[in-house]
Amino acid sequence: MKRITSTLLLCWIAIQLNAGTDGILPYTIYQKQLSNGVNVVTVPFGSPGIAAFYIVMRVGSRDEVEPGKTGFAHFFEHMMFRGTDNISKEKYNEILKSIGASANANTSLDRTVYHMTGDALKMEKMFEIEADRFMNLKYSMQDFKAEAGAVKGEYTKNSASPYEQLDEKTNDVAFVQHTYKHTTMGFFKDVVDMPNQYDYSLSFFKRFYRPENATIVVVGDVKREVIEAWAAKYFGVWKGGAVKAAIPTEPEQKETKFAHVEMANFPPYLGLNFKGPAFDDKKMDMPALDVLSSILFSEKSDLYNQLIVKEQKAYSLTGGADNSRDPNLFSIGVSLKDAKDMQATKDVIIAALEKAKTTPVDSKVLADVKSHLKYSFAMHIDSPDAIAEGLASYIWVTGDPESLNRYYALYDKVSEQDIMMVAKKYFIATGLTISTISEGKDGGVK
Amino acid sequence: MRRIIIASAAILIAFTTILNAQTVIELKQPESNKVIIKIMFRAGSAFDGKGSEGITFTTAHLMEEGGTTGMTSSQIKDKIYPWAASYFVTVDKEVTVFTFEVPTVFLNDFYPIMKGLILAPSFSLEDFERIKANQQNYVDQVIRSSSDEEYSKKALEHFLFQGGSYQHPVQGKSKTVKDFTLENVKACYKENFCKENMTIGIAGNYTPEFLSQLKKDMRTLQPDVEPKAFTLVKGAAPKGIQVEVIAKENALGSAIFAGFPMALTRKSDDFAALMVANSFLGEHRKSYSLLYRKIREQRSMNYGDYTYIEWYDNGGSNMLPRPGFPRTQNYFSIWLRPVQTAKGLKGQYPELSGIKVGHAHFALRMAIRELDKMIKDGMSEQDFELTRTFLRSYIKLYTQTPEKQLGFLLDSKFYGRKDYIKEMDVLLAKLSVADVNAAIRKYWQTQDMYVSIITDISEVEELGKSLEQNLPSPMSYSNSLKEVLGKEILAEDEQVSKYPLNIKFVTMFNTKDTFR
Repeated sequence: MKRITSTLLLCWIAIQLNAGTDGILPYTIYQKQLSNGVNVVTVPFGSPGIAAFYIVMRVGSRDEVEPGKTGFAHFFEHMMFRGTDNISKEKYNEILKSIGASANANTSLDRTVYHMTGDALKMEKMFEIEADRFMNLKYSMQDFKAEAGAVKGEYTKNSASPYEQLDEKTNDVAFVQHTYKHTTMGFFKDVVDMPNQYDYSLSFFKRFYRPENATIVVVGDVKREVIEAWAAKYFGVWKGGAVKAAIPTEPEQKETKFAHVEMANFPPYLGLNFKGPAFDDKKMDMPALDVLSSILFSEKSDLYNQLIVKEQKAYSLTGGADNSRDPNLFSIGVSLKDAKDMQATKDVIIAALEKAKTTPVDSKVLADVKSHLKYSFAMHIDSPDAIAEGLASYIWVTGDPESLNRYYALYDKVSEQDIMMVAKKYFIATGLTISTISEGKDGGVK
Repeated sequence: MRRIIIASAAILIAFTTILNAQTVIELKQPESNKVIIKIMFRAGSAFDGKGSEGITFTTAHLMEEGGTTGMTSSQIKDKIYPWAASYFVTVDKEVTVFTFEVPTVFLNDFYPIMKGLILAPSFSLEDFERIKANQQNYVDQVIRSSSDEEYSKKALEHFLFQGGSYQHPVQGKSKTVKDFTLENVKACYKENFCKENMTIGIAGNYTPEFLSQLKKDMRTLQPDVEPKAFTLVKGAAPKGIQVEVIAKENALGSAIFAGFPMALTRKSDDFAALMVANSFLGEHRKSYSLLYRKIREQRSMNYGDYTYIEWYDNGGSNMLPRPGFPRTQNYFSIWLRPVQTAKGLKGQYPELSGIKVGHAHFALRMAIRELDKMIKDGMSEQDFELTRTFLRSYIKLYTQTPEKQLGFLLDSKFYGRKDYIKEMDVLLAKLSVADVNAAIRKYWQTQDMYVSIITDISEVEELGKSLEQNLPSPMSYSNSLKEVLGKEILAEDEQVSKYPLNIKFVTMFNTKDTFR
């Protein structure tokens, strides 16, 4: 669900903080690309005895272009734990347990991330078992069908949330061609059909689980030279041959669209989802939108004061955009006390967006946001996981961890004019999808 | 000093906890760029009192989200925003913890605000109404309709601690929250938030002078108030297995939590032994634990299956445990993530059109049978060694950030320990498999427990009947899956489907009737 509070949205934003690096991260990012395309990123960090080991695969639900195969990137993430001829799933689990790491994986629109954090002295073993499964994954039909049930179980537990239901509908309505039309979980009918897609799963592995799509990130109590040597030793023999999915281009939206979940006994919800930009670490669009969302939707914003503190019509207010490889949604969300206030609330928000198009933001407010970004970042890079996750989030959109440094440098440059520019460009009725939850048959918002 | 007494209906099992009001836990990190301050109060929902369920939560959140006598909440947000200073509060059964985090360079600017929030909250009517409305919304609607898993967990606590101080959710109940007034909040603050029941924690880069000032100021928090002696009433012990099945409309699965009270906390050295057993049976979100392998990995029934020997906050979102939830009353629990209902299975697979009950009964049987087997057979030396090795490394990951480190140190103090993580490691190193198996037999059993199941309205009656009458619950696989499953799995299923559960009664009711 793309309902990010401004605080969370901005927690990774920074400016230059420290001597010793040219960028904004106060630690050097070492990169070495293996000849097969695997990029190896190492960030030594003072966490005695502990290190985080991440593998970022640039494959996600965005790559699910075939009809009936939605949710497959996520399903495949599950299959990656089902063993190889060299290391069975039982043995893999036994090794993982002996390492004593916190290990898991997750999938989203543009990527799948595999991670383990634990004893830095056991890092070579982590390289060994991960390289084996990324190159040699092999699973039985029984394992395949059994894992499909676990994915259905995941869908089942998520579906209890009306927000999840609305998210699925909103994306389905907002996009016509592009694969962001479906969520990473996929459509339920496709999830139910997963047990019948064994052959497709093999082709999925062959096409996407290739070194060209992989970046290894190691952060913590490690030495760069040692990490790079292990990467070459264990991942250097991985054969290339990645196939790029033909992602359809989304046609321009021509009118306001609507998505609705009918739900009694639940707080009414209003979402305004505008078509936004793709991530780009050289353009001002996304950083300017981030700054604007902080000004308009954070707890110190005028809208928050009006809707939540003074009038007390709403329980919560959120707004922002996820970084993604292709143009995605900028979503504003309000949880309301009374569905009768939906239209008025929408009008108030639209008025604030319209004002942002023509009225320069106060220079002190802009300076405060930039200061907030700087110190938020500084406060949050306090563990190997936090740094690895931060780097990974830029690797999956551009392939380059230095995007983090480049992107944060843009924040310092965001001007009043940039903010007005993005407001005019993106907050338009023909790019809007209105999503609602209420007990009515429709949201009743124009 | 606060006297805390644990009582059951007939017997008062008492112990006295003496808290030094100026207990300070320090974690100095001169190289850090920030300071973290935690103020823990020995005050939580267990002390709310009858008719006031949820008042501690309201009070703590009004302190956190409201203003001070010098500044409104909006003014505070404006002021601290450029510094990226932040704070939050957690309220549990027995403690409330305020956590403040600020860059060192702004510590002196931020401190008057922090001090004001604790010592001089404004308790404005406007803030109170906002906080109360949010809380009312949660207990009226959100709790029942966001995550069936969290709902079933809260339902289990409500069932397991019935008649006891832990029974109600920390957020309270619909009818109690509705009647709260600002005067109730002020009274709760006066009774429960004072220097006598406060523990201070501080981590990061601060000066001795700052700490002296903090201690001096915190000593002024209602210095004349002597916390009442609270009686913590235990819930009624389960007699047999007691099940509640709660009906929801359009639930896609059956969310299950089961558990029984257990006289063991981190205070006891036995905790390390039971950590090993629990990790083997159902370590939180780990694919190598027994229940996960049996129910999810082999049988494809759900997303995961875990067990716990203490409260684990928000397990759906957290991979590692959060500090701030220490308790004197504890319970063992089994979490089975939603399994399929008959309605769902029939819709997905024509070959299952004749089934009346989904997978909930079978899953419950399987989990309790595995627990039973562990009690009877114990752990093997090999499993013990591997699990102990895992835990000795894994528990160090609980404290990766300074905030977590400080939090676990505060929790350690609650349990009469200095550093729980380090001490558990020492205890784990000394353990033998015999110690673990003795702990299993001492603390675990399968005959008396509570079970809460949230499920679709279409499932309730047949599932309730199946449980109540101990009917066989054959596993219903799709043909596609069944044809590839090994014979040993199907043979074990046959055993599981008839495994007798000591179910004494089953109650069924509608979601609308919970937490009222």
